[in-house]
Amino acid sequence: MNGIINLSSIRKLVQIAAFVFFVYGGVITGYYLEDKISGALPALSCAYDQQGADLCTLIPIQHQMDHRLGEAIAKGGNLMMGIMPTLITLGTFLLLFVFLNKAFCGWICPLGTFQDFLYMIGQKIGLTRRESLDEGLVNRIRPVKWFILLILVFGFPLLAGIGMVNHDLGDPFCRICPSRILTTLATGDTSQLYVDTANTTTIVLSLLADFLFGLMVALALTVRQPFCRICPMLALHATFRKLGLLRLVKNGTPRCDRCGLCAKACPMDIREIHTDMERRDVTFEDCTLCGRCVEFCPDKDVLQMKYALIPVFTSGPDYFKSRKKVQTKWGKSNLIQWFRRGRSKAQVKTP
Amino acid sequence: MKRYKSLSMLAMALMLALPVAKSAEEVGDKPTQPQPQAHNHRGPKQLMLENSDGAKITLWKPDLSTQPLTFEHGGITISKTGTDNYHVVIAEKDWGDSKETVIRYEYQFGRPSKRSPSELAGTVKTAFEIVPDPIPREHNHYHSDQTWGFLLRIHGAPAAGIPVSLETDNGSQIQALSDEFGRVEFHLPDDFPDIVAGERDRRSAELSISAETQDAGIDYQTTLTAEYRVAPSHWQSTRMGLLVAGLGLIAGGLIGKTKKPAGKKA
Repeated sequence: MNGIINLSSIRKLVQIAAFVFFVYGGVITGYYLEDKISGALPALSCAYDQQGADLCTLIPIQHQMDHRLGEAIAKGGNLMMGIMPTLITLGTFLLLFVFLNKAFCGWICPLGTFQDFLYMIGQKIGLTRRESLDEGLVNRIRPVKWFILLILVFGFPLLAGIGMVNHDLGDPFCRICPSRILTTLATGDTSQLYVDTANTTTIVLSLLADFLFGLMVALALTVRQPFCRICPMLALHATFRKLGLLRLVKNGTPRCDRCGLCAKACPMDIREIHTDMERRDVTFEDCTLCGRCVEFCPDKDVLQMKYALIPVFTSGPDYFKSRKKVQTKWGKSNLIQWFRRGRSKAQVKTP
Repeated sequence: MKRYKSLSMLAMALMLALPVAKSAEEVGDKPTQPQPQAHNHRGPKQLMLENSDGAKITLWKPDLSTQPLTFEHGGITISKTGTDNYHVVIAEKDWGDSKETVIRYEYQFGRPSKRSPSELAGTVKTAFEIVPDPIPREHNHYHSDQTWGFLLRIHGAPAAGIPVSLETDNGSQIQALSDEFGRVEFHLPDDFPDIVAGERDRRSAELSISAETQDAGIDYQTTLTAEYRVAPSHWQSTRMGLLVAGLGLIAGGLIGKTKKPAGKKA
């Protein structure tokens, strides 16, 4: 692959197509929940979006914790019957997840796409961007996604079903999820951007949701994938990543000269891709399988994306040179430079 | 003057989960909002049917199978069918030269039906029919201050140019005319009394949409009944949401602000 056609540009096209399909695809699949593709998509395609083609797996899990398992525990009912819907949801999730693994984050998720494009916009309007976050900060942020998964996706909904917390905590992750606001706004529906004054819980959750959405939009202009770093879907993916057919593989041979370009290219700041020379499967818990590390690795066959053990994309010096050239050209052009060039040309022409 | 009384259905079971509004006199001078109660969505549902003598009552399930229902103790009981999603209750009365129908879509919980409600809506269930277009999506409801569409069908074909009226328990009445595709839209009136701004209000009330037409010398009268709830906009402020998102934007701008590396231009 040379020039403009490279893995990143192909990924962008897939992301745009997936965004359009999962945000507006209800026109094709149907309006009702029963019409949706799986009801357990491993990406943040929101159920509140009335025009969406599918819905993310986190919403049924929260509702099942609340209305099925929680109620079964509270009423002393059959726990197996209580947990069965969640097992079915997770089974459906896994059927899809096995095909693309964590690439659902890097290639499919509408919220990931939105942040990717905001970062591009930030570059094009000439904002000074952070190439990577400090290692210490990245390490401090990493546990947050597990906390959100355990507390907001499983914990509070279960407690709400048992009756230990109020019912407004039955789906707390959805209440704060930026994808809910983004995807509904994208369809012209402003009803999800609100402050809910019903009670203290709803006030806190809605304030948090709106603030988080604004924060994410602003941060995404200068920081790569800010919300992805704390997304509970990323944590759920991490749990099952060994089952996925698509993997990121590292051949830690002497051919790897430890230049660190792979880690620098990673939008999730996974430095272990560069430092870890032991593991072959380097699909780390924060990896979104975007493939940028493979693109920017100059050493032949050191990094590979493999599908069912078959290499589908491999690092190499020729691809690296071509990709680097395109990236440098892309990185140099932005609106500020365009204005400056226009102004200097006008001055030259003026006698 | 009609020689018969209209059929009319009201949901009783829903009223247990969603308490009926009390008037200001009942609760004192200060209007009090009903408190949330325990949900019992999965039990049988009862519908009240007035003037039902001689009526044929049918339950349509999501898989399009039907089951006759009987009128007992002043109402109809929809037992658990074991199937999730929308069901339709249709009560029909045949007077010879006139046919009268009351239709109601009710959500029942159970095992996933794997059938889209569009199949149920698209199936001809009675001669003259008002069909929600669309039905509120699963787990959603009609709310006041929202616009919803309905289709009128006579023997399965669009019924164009028919006067349609919407009435609510709260006393509102709206008239409209079906278009060439048999479609009519209503903006549901925001007519619940004693609303307290900023406080969640879980009241519900009944609405009915009625139409009458003639075909082959027979007079057809049909009514669709449904529950509608108070608009959440009374306690959910989009303006405030926008303001808070704006604060988030400012905070993000400040946190994300970086100094230009020395010697580098933008």
